Amino acid sequence: MALCAVLTLTSPALAATKTKPAPPPPPYVGVYQPQGVDELGIWREDDESEQKLANSPVAIQDEALTAYVKSVLCTAVGFDRCNATRVYIVREPSFNATMSPNGTMRVYSGLLLRVRSEAELASVLGHEFGHFEKRHTLASFKAHRKGTDFLSWASVLASMSNSAGVHRNFADLEMSVYGSLLRFSRDHEREADLLGIGYLNGSTLRPQAASQIWRNLMAETEASAAARGLKKPRFDRVAFFSSHPPEAERADYLGALAMPEGDGRDEGSEAYGRALAKWLPVFLNDQIKLNDFGGSEYLINSLAKDGWTAPLWQMRGELFRARGAPRDLAHAADFYLNAITIEPELAEAHRGLGLSLVKTGRTEEGRVALARYLELKPDASDSAMIGMTIASIGGNQ
Amino acid sequence: MTVSARRSWMSVALCLAIVGAGAADANAYREKGKVAEIADSKMTVTPPRDWNRLDASPGKNAETWTLDGEQLNDITFYSGVEAGRPLVKEPDKKRQPLPKFTESTLLIEIPELLEGTYRAYKQIGGFSLTGSRPERFLRQEGVYFTYEFTDRDDLPRKGEARAALVGKKLYMISFDAPRLHYFDKTLPDFRALADTAKLGN
Repeated sequence: MALCAVLTLTSPALAATKTKPAPPPPPYVGVYQPQGVDELGIWREDDESEQKLANSPVAIQDEALTAYVKSVLCTAVGFDRCNATRVYIVREPSFNATMSPNGTMRVYSGLLLRVRSEAELASVLGHEFGHFEKRHTLASFKAHRKGTDFLSWASVLASMSNSAGVHRNFADLEMSVYGSLLRFSRDHEREADLLGIGYLNGSTLRPQAASQIWRNLMAETEASAAARGLKKPRFDRVAFFSSHPPEAERADYLGALAMPEGDGRDEGSEAYGRALAKWLPVFLNDQIKLNDFGGSEYLINSLAKDGWTAPLWQMRGELFRARGAPRDLAHAADFYLNAITIEPELAEAHRGLGLSLVKTGRTEEGRVALARYLELKPDASDSAMIGMTIASIGGNQ
Repeated sequence: MTVSARRSWMSVALCLAIVGAGAADANAYREKGKVAEIADSKMTVTPPRDWNRLDASPGKNAETWTLDGEQLNDITFYSGVEAGRPLVKEPDKKRQPLPKFTESTLLIEIPELLEGTYRAYKQIGGFSLTGSRPERFLRQEGVYFTYEFTDRDDLPRKGEARAALVGKKLYMISFDAPRLHYFDKTLPDFRALADTAKLGN
């Protein structure tokens, strides 16, 4: 069950609960084992998939980071529940996390880049755990099988008729079955949201953070669309093929379901920042190379809310240099200089500064910056190419 | 026209479409020792062994050659990419644009351009440039570079490429293959092929 936001009517059941906080989760009934041929089969496939993931190069092998993310899950759902899961950090720059029926939780690096606190991370992990606890994958599998079986028989019957009306009716039937399956999926998401916020209400973390994630995601999507010259995205409509409820709806009901008394609790922002310090520059680098200027600029600015650091200035420089318009290069040079002011020995900033200056015609200053890069990082994998670039500047003079 | 008559016409049309598509997707044979022109451009190669050229082109100025299938050994020629254009055809020009080669792109930035293109096209996080050095290509000052990445199929791949800027256009040949077995197996064939690349006469 993926969390990923796909463009997407408010669920009547959820609307009724909107005015009061989410109820606490049901009592934990112990370690669950698969039952029935369908579930046994799903678990077996899942075991194979987990084994492949454990050996995959996209799984980040950092025990400390994995243990930290798991501890955040445990804080949210409780230690008895969280022992049924294995957490894997997947290096993929999208905003996503998934939980499969056998207890494999995949947390994408793009999610870790976007959340700002333990409470925000816990709300997403709690949502995913909700899918697991309610066995949504199995229910979804059975619903799809029932729906497609029904359509197969209906198509056999429809093919026996020569009437155009029968074929029209079959087409309508097909659409309504697919529509109801997608609605089923959206209702699962809402149920997982309700459980997730229930866990958070019962934890030591601030539950209001759950709504914040969706507001941040909407702001990022808007920034991304604006930079690409696209129409302002709508977050309040359900598209026919949406597997998830619209973001605006989720932000609203998650805000309403959060326990007001929990508003004064700690979000765990500082602890989150410390635990992710080593990885955030790596994840940010993965993001800025996706050629999503608006989204990346939004994320850099949000990371810089607590103060600009040298790596953040350097990354902003990389983002502008990659877009490469003359004004971008001038801005990039300024950003690299800001990074160097804070951290004079940040080799990558000297490299970026040198290349930006060379491209804007300030070749002598560029040569000096590139030479400084080589001084700081003589074994750089591109040192010979930098040397050639410096030599070609000399040749042009 | 009755429903069944319409259906039989549709079947005929469908068959024709399949046959037509099959013909259009036929891949070409590149015979040993015969000069081959790349993507209707001035760049040619004289393959030292037989190769397959795939008809599915990754872009306007690009062409893919392989021995065992593009997932096992993929040689892509980028032949005369003009300023303002991406290396390969964009999956969605508006929503998933690719980085563009520009007039101000420096030779040293070509590896970054390939990296950005791979990352943005495949939406992956695991890509690293492992080395680069100056090396002549097409009788010009050029860049040779190596890289590693893990594709959406979770298979780690290695790659190397040679590139040069000629007349404000980008010419490049890249090779990537699974790290396990296929990269080392095909590398000598790739290098021998890339050595024969020429521009014009």
